[in-house]
Amino acid sequence: MTGFLIQRLLQAIVIMAVMSVIVFAGVYAIGNPLEVLLPPEAPQDIRDAVIKRFGLDRPLWEQYGLYIYNLFQGDLGRSYIYNEPVLQLIFGRLPATIELVLTSVIGALVIGVPLGIWAGYRPNAFSSRAIMAVSILGFSVPTFWIGLILILTFAVNLGWLPSGGRGDTVEVLGVAWSVFTLDGWSHLILPATNLALFKLAIMIRLARAGTREVMLSDTVKFARAAGISEGTIIRRHVLKLISIPIATVFGLELGSTLAFAVVTETIFAWPGVGKLIIDSIQNLDRPVMMAYLILTAGLFVTINLVVDLVYALLDPRLRRRAAP
Amino acid sequence: MTILTVDNLVTQFFTRSGVVTAVDGVSFDIKRGEIVGLVGESGSGKSVTGFSLLGLVDQPGRVTSGSIRLGGEELVGKSDRDMRAIRGARIAMVFQDPLMTLNPVITIGAQMRLAIRAHGAVSRRAADERAAEFLTKVGIREARARLSAYPHEFSGGMRQRVAIAIALLLGSELIVADEPTTALDVSIQAQILDEVRELAAESGTALLWISHDLAVVASLASRVLVMYRGKIVETGPTSKVLAAPQHAYTAGLLASLPAMATPGTPLSVFRPETMTVERPEPVALPPSPSAGQPFVTVTNAVKHFVPSRTLGDKIAAKITANPGQPTVKAVDGVSLTIAKGETLGLVGESGSGKSTLGRMIAGILAPTSGTVTMDGAPVMEGGRKAGTRIQTVFQDPFASLDPRMRVGDIVAEGPLAHGLTNKSDRVAYVAGHLSRAGLDPGLATRFPHQFSGGQRQRIAIARALAMQPEVLVCDEPVSSLDVSIQAQIINLFLELKRDLNLTILFISHDLSVVRHLSDRIAIMLNGRIVEEGITETVYETPQDDYTKRLLAAVPKLSAAA
Repeated sequence: MTGFLIQRLLQAIVIMAVMSVIVFAGVYAIGNPLEVLLPPEAPQDIRDAVIKRFGLDRPLWEQYGLYIYNLFQGDLGRSYIYNEPVLQLIFGRLPATIELVLTSVIGALVIGVPLGIWAGYRPNAFSSRAIMAVSILGFSVPTFWIGLILILTFAVNLGWLPSGGRGDTVEVLGVAWSVFTLDGWSHLILPATNLALFKLAIMIRLARAGTREVMLSDTVKFARAAGISEGTIIRRHVLKLISIPIATVFGLELGSTLAFAVVTETIFAWPGVGKLIIDSIQNLDRPVMMAYLILTAGLFVTINLVVDLVYALLDPRLRRRAAP
Repeated sequence: MTILTVDNLVTQFFTRSGVVTAVDGVSFDIKRGEIVGLVGESGSGKSVTGFSLLGLVDQPGRVTSGSIRLGGEELVGKSDRDMRAIRGARIAMVFQDPLMTLNPVITIGAQMRLAIRAHGAVSRRAADERAAEFLTKVGIREARARLSAYPHEFSGGMRQRVAIAIALLLGSELIVADEPTTALDVSIQAQILDEVRELAAESGTALLWISHDLAVVASLASRVLVMYRGKIVETGPTSKVLAAPQHAYTAGLLASLPAMATPGTPLSVFRPETMTVERPEPVALPPSPSAGQPFVTVTNAVKHFVPSRTLGDKIAAKITANPGQPTVKAVDGVSLTIAKGETLGLVGESGSGKSTLGRMIAGILAPTSGTVTMDGAPVMEGGRKAGTRIQTVFQDPFASLDPRMRVGDIVAEGPLAHGLTNKSDRVAYVAGHLSRAGLDPGLATRFPHQFSGGQRQRIAIARALAMQPEVLVCDEPVSSLDVSIQAQIINLFLELKRDLNLTILFISHDLSVVRHLSDRIAIMLNGRIVEEGITETVYETPQDDYTKRLLAAVPKLSAAA
């Protein structure tokens, strides 16, 4: 197990190194930031001064080296557009995305797994068929369209909930959060629902498939033969046996939602990092793009590492590798 | 005192293609402390009978009529809630595969606590004490500490002991044991049979022992029920039934056993269509070729499996001073020879290295050191199997045949690739080899799933024969088959030996099958051969201690007679 974790850490370092090269080269390839930074009629001497200031005259590898050097100093550069340190910019927006994503992913888990277990436990019941039909909708209807329908129904027609923005926020640990105010929740609930639907469908399907398989296993038959009640069998046996694929997908979904909640954030005017990255791509704001992509890669690597640790917690057979 | 009376029990499955009657009017009773054997082949309804007693028949099946009375109380028609109070407390069950029955992600202690608390509120402390007490009873040392262990930290035999302990926990009057020793090695099986006999006598618990293995039942049960196609066709004291079977099916089952026949003679085959036993004419086998020149030669073969170590593993080993997984010495210095036309039986328990040795001889696996040659030439060249003169038949005919290929294509694939036949001759070529293996050549266009286990093993044999091999490596080829089918396949091997002068390495854990087919046998333990010699000599006068123990552990039909 220890060896496995060390191996994973080494892999993570390699992945981050390769990722930074690809991102740097890729961002370099798309457009010249001078066109955004300067008006078309700017004179040549100002042009030269700006080029020199941002180091754009140096060879690519030198620019890359400087970038990595600064990165290790904790300096990811300043945004061309906002003229603010990039880190400050991203971390200012991150809490909004984190609370939106965690609410939706955890909501999907807490609602989806029990529904999926029920659908797997009673595959022929009407309620199970209804759950599965809804989950197909969650898969097949595009997110943006559901978002629009939610706004149309709850904000425009019924007028129950606001259609966008974060609402009131409270400072906790020096960061602004919406989840701790009632008004914040009223703003959060629609985008979180919108983001959760797809994940909910996946959780339902995973839990259902796992439950159907486990219910037919000898483990469950043996537990029944010992007179253990169905409720206990599901809580103590089934839930633990189906948890590994769920943990895997939960980790992947968490990462991809954090990185790509863009569509939902745009529709609900949610001021998270998704909106920031879209703006920075449009404005060719290189430092923001770079920092965002590298942070995203780091996020995925970290989540995968945590998922591996969770595996070992869930399945004692994987811990065995540590034993001599 | 009778504790269980089953009267005219009928269990049916309501499938889409119609009603299947798995248990068809079964009646029997069991007395307190009695061990009753329930014997039958796969599909006879013996397991469904066991599940019916606990009210645990899977959907779409259910008990449709009859009665099951436990101490005078009728169980048929009881609600699931009422049945749950009986399961585990008054009737318990032990299953075949302890690997599958215990939950791999929950500790043994927690699983035992769940079973205890299912029948009443008990403090954790008291539950643990009770669990440890029963683990000790079934022979698990330091039981208290072992409660926090997970199933994978126990060996197969130990796991089955844990399952038995769970069944005993609440003092059940009856334990239904469904093939509980089938997945275990003979020596472990012998220990568990002894322990079960003692436990039953000590606690007064009655046992319904379901098994396909007549010898196991003979060594354990005082009374036996023989089941065939959902009905009990014969019942009586074990010794009487085995010595003088009244029903044709029982007689057929007994006659099919290699242990009941003279080694090397064709076995009797039971024909269910006519309910008769066919006794084939004895065939004259050529005199034992064991004295001939070595044809296959294994010299000091070693196979070590070194666990693959990543860079991370190496660093971890340095930091924690823990070397990680050790090298597995599967085969650790084996030398043997097989003469032309000879059959060598290779016997050993699980983990002895017999399959690894077989794969090295078949040219599928390269030895770590040492050599394997056939007819003077190495069986592997440049890391690949050399030539087609050695072929293999595997244990599981369900896994070894590609389910998406037609039988004819399966048989023709190798010969076509090696130019042994061509496109225009292939139908006749395949037909010839299918009939050689005892199959109707007209079935060549079907898929493997349309055949029974025994027929599939014939297909696997036909596939091997179609390569025109001189050496056949057979790894447990009859282990997954029912006794009556097993007899047919053994007879097929005898015919092949006689007609084709094949050199055969026959790997098996079943000592009676090996004895029946082999000219010479070798016994493996921990990667080494501990004894080798002419079959009858080894069986009659074993020299090595392990061989003696192994032979003594085999349950014998005569034990009860």
